[in-house]
Amino acid sequence: MNTAAAGRTAASPSVSVVIPVFNEADNVGRVHDAVTSVLNTTGLDYEIIFVDDGSDDETAQVLRRLVADDRRVRFARFRRNFGQTPAMAAGIQLASGSILITMDGDLQNDPRDIPAMVARVVDGADIVAGWRARRQDHYLTRVLPSRIANWLIGRVTGVPIRDNGCSLKAYRASVIKRVPLYSDMHRFIPAMASITGARVEQMRVRHHARRFGTSKYGLGRVWRVLFDMISVKMVIAFASRPALWFTLIAVGPLLLAAGAGLFGLAAYADDPASASFVPLGITLLSGALASFLLGCGVLGELVFRSSESREHHLSKLTAIVSESGDRIRPAPAVRR
Amino acid sequence: MPEATSTRQRLISVVIPVQKRYDDIEELYGAYAEALRRCDDRFEFIFVLDGDYPDVQRQLEQLRHSGEPIQVIRFTRAFGESVALTVGFEHSQGELVLTLPAFYQIDPETLPAFIGSLGDEDMLQGRRWPRTDSALNRAGTVLLHRLIRLVTGHTFRDVGCSLRLMRRQVAREVVIYGDQHTFLPVLASNRGFRVREVSVQQSKNDPYVRYYQPSEYLRRLLSIFTIFFLGRFTKAPLRFFGVCGTLLMLLGMVLIGVVVFERLFSGVPAGDRPMLLFGVVNLVLGAQVFALGLIGELIIFTHGRELKEYSIAEVEGAGLSERKTIEPDVPDRAPLASGSGGSKQ
Repeated sequence: MNTAAAGRTAASPSVSVVIPVFNEADNVGRVHDAVTSVLNTTGLDYEIIFVDDGSDDETAQVLRRLVADDRRVRFARFRRNFGQTPAMAAGIQLASGSILITMDGDLQNDPRDIPAMVARVVDGADIVAGWRARRQDHYLTRVLPSRIANWLIGRVTGVPIRDNGCSLKAYRASVIKRVPLYSDMHRFIPAMASITGARVEQMRVRHHARRFGTSKYGLGRVWRVLFDMISVKMVIAFASRPALWFTLIAVGPLLLAAGAGLFGLAAYADDPASASFVPLGITLLSGALASFLLGCGVLGELVFRSSESREHHLSKLTAIVSESGDRIRPAPAVRR
Repeated sequence: MPEATSTRQRLISVVIPVQKRYDDIEELYGAYAEALRRCDDRFEFIFVLDGDYPDVQRQLEQLRHSGEPIQVIRFTRAFGESVALTVGFEHSQGELVLTLPAFYQIDPETLPAFIGSLGDEDMLQGRRWPRTDSALNRAGTVLLHRLIRLVTGHTFRDVGCSLRLMRRQVAREVVIYGDQHTFLPVLASNRGFRVREVSVQQSKNDPYVRYYQPSEYLRRLLSIFTIFFLGRFTKAPLRFFGVCGTLLMLLGMVLIGVVVFERLFSGVPAGDRPMLLFGVVNLVLGAQVFALGLIGELIIFTHGRELKEYSIAEVEGAGLSERKTIEPDVPDRAPLASGSGGSKQ
């Protein structure tokens, strides 16, 4: 599929618009109209893929009618609600265009931004992440938390995306199809893709207030995002050399063990009668922790070695074969 | 009697795992076949012998030679009911799969009504009701299902009943291993299949009191925990291990902080206080739990592309692809070696 897609890029790119929807019966028709009216004017070859994430309203019926009316629409239905990341992953798997666009199904993104994003990918970007200027959402519950999260994610993962929550993004198909998508990782696609050396660009996009239906987000996901972020950081940093990183972490406990041991010895030498067992206990515990961490490093190395991702994610992707010619563009330094 | 659900004949594969507990197979098969003959559908029987049962095998071979639609699969050693069912499913040809116990648990007479009651659900789970066995066994069932409800949120009332009817898609897509066969309806509905519980008559020959080894109860408890964990945290292990580890480390730091505070401001000697040691133990344990979560994340990441955590019911329209019809994707089955198996769900 990749080679076919690559072949098509050379002539004129084909675009797959992936739209995960959940209980958006009122919106899907409008989204479809908006996307088609924009893309029809560009003359691009395109398809629209709706992934119905187990809606319990009439979304599926509306989509079936859309498929019957427009042969460029494709629609997959989940058996139940699995979440936004699986929906995106499924849409990305089904897509056969050479450039993929993801967007929300609630009309908060504006399809008029798509042609510019496609142009950026044609010009060489692997991922174009949109950022919403003047977000039309509630400040305290939506905008402020996401500001903080974006800042933190940028600091921790090292990929400073202004607006991770913006679904409107464009991807080179060959890049995004290699990024593992699971759990709630859709927020971290640019960071995850950076392991592969993808070229990430950002673009200001329009944003509208929600007109129909209700928002499906709340504040309850903060701790999840926090731990997911640590996972991403870990994966980015550790993925290729877990033993090294666990060893570095083990240095702290090792030093503590040595310090407590010396302290205990000194106290014993000073006055054997009143010396306590506590420093010795700390030495043993810290030593145990250090060796546990070293063991984890070895285990991590084993996991990494026994997986196929070694070649998929790292060695192959650190150089991206340019799709417009035979030039090999070395990827930007891989963060480790 | 419910109306006949379809005019054409369906092929139903009957999968019967034979384990330590079995009744006279020839007689039991006769009773099952007799009852099923009254359905409009065609049947094939797949007996999976989980280990060496020469007498059962001889009886089944005789039945097969006399023209009964029986397939016999024998394992070289006992691999457990989940593996037996999985292998049975793999060999099944039917569009529906019916699982039955190799002993008298349900009254075969209720089978036609049970099969007939399949509407547009994906799976029917039998429920022995009204129960005719001892209060002890019934209390055990109620307790087990209270726990299942507490942990998974599902309100099944008799997952221990081996009578299940499912569409082929369910049998192919839901991966079971270890002791998870009991929780097939739970796992199926976790994957988005619609499962309904149907009351069936309990067999008169079902023993009044059944005893299980204590290890059996332990295994069930562990299975419930596994299923809870699989459903919630397999795709994000750090969410579980990270919270546990962070809490432990916080507790450890608070304890150490108290000791240090009292040393500095109250002059209480810190060196010989067990509380200091307790704090350090918590800190160490927390860090270890956290590290386990990191290893888990690494495993998930390296297998992230193979994990399909969704289940597609239908795909319509062709879009840019030339393929006109697409089968809903089915994940590969878990490897069959005992004990191993994917953590796919």
